[in-house]
Amino acid sequence: MGNWAAFRRTWSSREGGAGSVTSGSVSSPVMGGARAIRQAIDWGELGPLRLRARQVAEGAYAGLHRSALRGAGVEFGGYREYVAGDDLRRLDRRSLLRHQRLLVRQFETETDRALCLVVDASASMSFRGPGAKASKIAFAAVAAAALARIAIANGDPVSVTFLGDERVQSIAPSSGREQFERIVAALEVLEPGGDAFDDPGMLDRALVSLARVARRGAIVVVLSDLLDWAPGAPEKVASLASSGRVLAVVQTLDPAEARFPFSGTVRLRALEGGRVIETDADATRTAYLAALAELTGAWRESLARRGGRFLSSTTNESLIALVRSIVQTIR
Amino acid sequence: MAALVIAPYLAHRLRRKNAEEQVFPPARLVLPAPPRARRRSRLEDRALLGTRAAAVVALAVLGATPFVRCSQLSLHRAAGASIAMAIIVDDSMSMRAASGALTRFERARRGAVELVSSAREGDSVAVILAGAPDRVELALTTDLGAARQVTSALAPSDRGTDLEGAVALARELLASAVQTDRRIVLLSDLADGHAGAEALSGGADVPMWMALPELAAGGGDCALVRADQRGARVHVELRCGPGQSASGRELVVEDAKGASLGRAPAPGGEKGETSIFVQADDAKADHVRLTGGDAIAEDDRAPVLPEVARGTLAVVADSTDEAVATGGAPIVEQALGALKLDVDVAPLPAVPDTAEELSGRLGVVLDDPPGLTPEQRHVLAGFVEGGGVVLLALGPRAAAAPLGATFEPILTQAVTWDDTTQRGVEASTVVGGLAESAESLSDLGATRRTVLSPADAAMFKPLANWNDGAPLIARRAMGRGEIWIVALPFSLEASDLALRPAFLALLRGWLNVALDHAAPVRAQVGASWSFPGARSVLVEGPSGPLDVGREGGVARVSPHWLGEYRITVDGHTELRVAQVDAREVDLRPRAVAAGSAGAEATGQRRELVDVSGYVALVLLVLLSLEMALRLSSRSTTARAV
Repeated sequence: MGNWAAFRRTWSSREGGAGSVTSGSVSSPVMGGARAIRQAIDWGELGPLRLRARQVAEGAYAGLHRSALRGAGVEFGGYREYVAGDDLRRLDRRSLLRHQRLLVRQFETETDRALCLVVDASASMSFRGPGAKASKIAFAAVAAAALARIAIANGDPVSVTFLGDERVQSIAPSSGREQFERIVAALEVLEPGGDAFDDPGMLDRALVSLARVARRGAIVVVLSDLLDWAPGAPEKVASLASSGRVLAVVQTLDPAEARFPFSGTVRLRALEGGRVIETDADATRTAYLAALAELTGAWRESLARRGGRFLSSTTNESLIALVRSIVQTIR
Repeated sequence: MAALVIAPYLAHRLRRKNAEEQVFPPARLVLPAPPRARRRSRLEDRALLGTRAAAVVALAVLGATPFVRCSQLSLHRAAGASIAMAIIVDDSMSMRAASGALTRFERARRGAVELVSSAREGDSVAVILAGAPDRVELALTTDLGAARQVTSALAPSDRGTDLEGAVALARELLASAVQTDRRIVLLSDLADGHAGAEALSGGADVPMWMALPELAAGGGDCALVRADQRGARVHVELRCGPGQSASGRELVVEDAKGASLGRAPAPGGEKGETSIFVQADDAKADHVRLTGGDAIAEDDRAPVLPEVARGTLAVVADSTDEAVATGGAPIVEQALGALKLDVDVAPLPAVPDTAEELSGRLGVVLDDPPGLTPEQRHVLAGFVEGGGVVLLALGPRAAAAPLGATFEPILTQAVTWDDTTQRGVEASTVVGGLAESAESLSDLGATRRTVLSPADAAMFKPLANWNDGAPLIARRAMGRGEIWIVALPFSLEASDLALRPAFLALLRGWLNVALDHAAPVRAQVGASWSFPGARSVLVEGPSGPLDVGREGGVARVSPHWLGEYRITVDGHTELRVAQVDAREVDLRPRAVAAGSAGAEATGQRRELVDVSGYVALVLLVLLSLEMALRLSSRSTTARAV
């Protein structure tokens, strides 16, 4: 990923045309589909996606800036002693005059580092509990868009792969502001669907697609609730951490899923697998939370073995803090 | 209306049967619930269910209030002025009979509460209880709060009935009232056992209102008056109301756990006695029960008084002087043995110095003791005060008692052993059990006799006098016991009294008195037991401890209920029994004077009260409760989420 100065510079240079582009995207033919899709995604307090993603991205960078004060220019990488063979153009004359020492100024080398976003668009991600700000898919979409904006601002290519039914098309890696618009447009028209429980091949198809675009050194961020996946899913996903890739899996749960706030006798219907369970919520709450902790623990352990990172969040948490955590994790 | 009440229940059942389905993606991680938890669930819904059902009932009653009204007693004020009212509540045993769904007493108590509730500021109210003896429960007062408190706290008793006394007491209380409008309200079944007596009347100046005439409904009742155990038999006395009989019913003797020890058919007629053989030797009869039912169930059971323990008489006599010529025990001991009264005789060489030696004795016979030392006097006085009986024969040794060895407190002055010319007693002065043997005392062979001082003679009640009027045999009560004195010693050298038939009659009479004092005291419920001189009196009745009052320094207690009472007086415990007043089985109502029973004549009336306001209030409370339950349930759910 790039740095804050690059991020600001890039977007300030493009801000002049941003309004026309935004209004243009609003009036784009996609919007007709978006109107219908908004009924599918419960954006809650997180809409509109474009503005919210920008706020989150800037908020995340502002936090990073404050927490990483290192001097005037972020491009500057520091000094080191001159050794024979160094480029004399980088010799710091002021240090020589002031300290009588030969020091060479170092600069960080910026390289393209592709960001591969994997967004779970299965049916369970459409859930929004009574105390949540928005549905899980909306939360994941804003986080993905914010990450994409940060990456694109740094000139990094971004791709998006969806885990869902076959109607959802992935977005090939690319950079530039148009890529961000494509990503936002795709997220806005996203319609959660697909049953990972009944369709174990869903994950395999996504991983095959991802393997094609995630080259060595790429950053892979998976945004999913991790529910209803087949038993071997953690190992398959963790295998993405090989070949120099950086992998971060962000578990996105609804507060109701994290706490199990029901009381008395309830009938619960899963969105994937079609399972319906009638239970005494008070009596089985502890067992449920233990099962959820076991599931999370399995993912965390599998990722740790392959060098991947695991983050957990709920949809009523701060998106800025989450994106900041992701950025810090994948640095 | 029943369908309306059931509707919330059915809705609740339907709701419980199909719990609301909710989307929950990780349902796969949730375990199915066990059935026990399923049944236990939704407690808050049950509270709502109850509230809604009650609200439906209240709503229905509210809708029907033009037709639903409560009848209650109230006062009618012709002139609007304040009134003075004496409420007589009969709390006798007969009021325990049923009057509809309630007992007569409970109906009367509620009537009293209603009357007090209808009183206004400025009215004076008095409450009198007609259970014998009649009592003022609340003196005439304008404090209506106190009157409400007293009438609400009234409790039934097993007492007899004293309506005339209660009415007289009411008139006496009303005489001091400042109000000119004075009334007596009688809440009684009028069953005082004097059905044929003169009609009750409050008098010409004070009208009396028989407020609840339905209480005087008559009825039939039988009661167990007493039950005593004598050996292996329990003697039972039964009383029934006029024209009533317990024929066909049974008397069952039971132990404390209710196991039957013996049974016998109840005697017929209004009054009967029977003996029931108790089969088990080691079982202790606790009570007798009359099977079947009648108007009052409480008097169909009576406690069995245990047989008086085989007692011992202490005899202090000089065997050297009083032994008969053929030798053996002193003559008084032999005479007591000849009576075959099933008592033991314990000869003592002298009057004991300690109370323990006389503890448990039926009585003490002192034959011409040579005075009493201070210690002996103290022990003997305590024995008599505690209920003991002493027979004291005075002779030459008593008259020659040394200085300081007096007979106080039995006699205040010394006696003399004088010559006499009197030949015997005057037959007409002989009373009690001695009367049949009076002739045997007409010619006594005695040349000398003991003469009491006039002051001492005046303290005694003579049972037989010499021809000149001096007492030969006399008795007097002392504390809870008795003292009998004889003016001749039992020695044959002094007289031939011991050879006369009257001597045995004397011993028999005295011994019966001793046995009576040892037996538990019986009294009717409501009678007052007094304990003069007692410092500490504790009474444990069938329903717990009783309050002991003091009047003029004398402890008094009045039993309210049938049964046994264990009374501890200064550390000594005795058993007393409160038994039913036999007149209470007569449930025939007594007549009330014309002009007193009519409500219109005295200005009182019954009023129908519209209860719609109260029902609406209840409905409002129920609706508020339901809203509170809903809000509570909702906030709980929100907090959980």
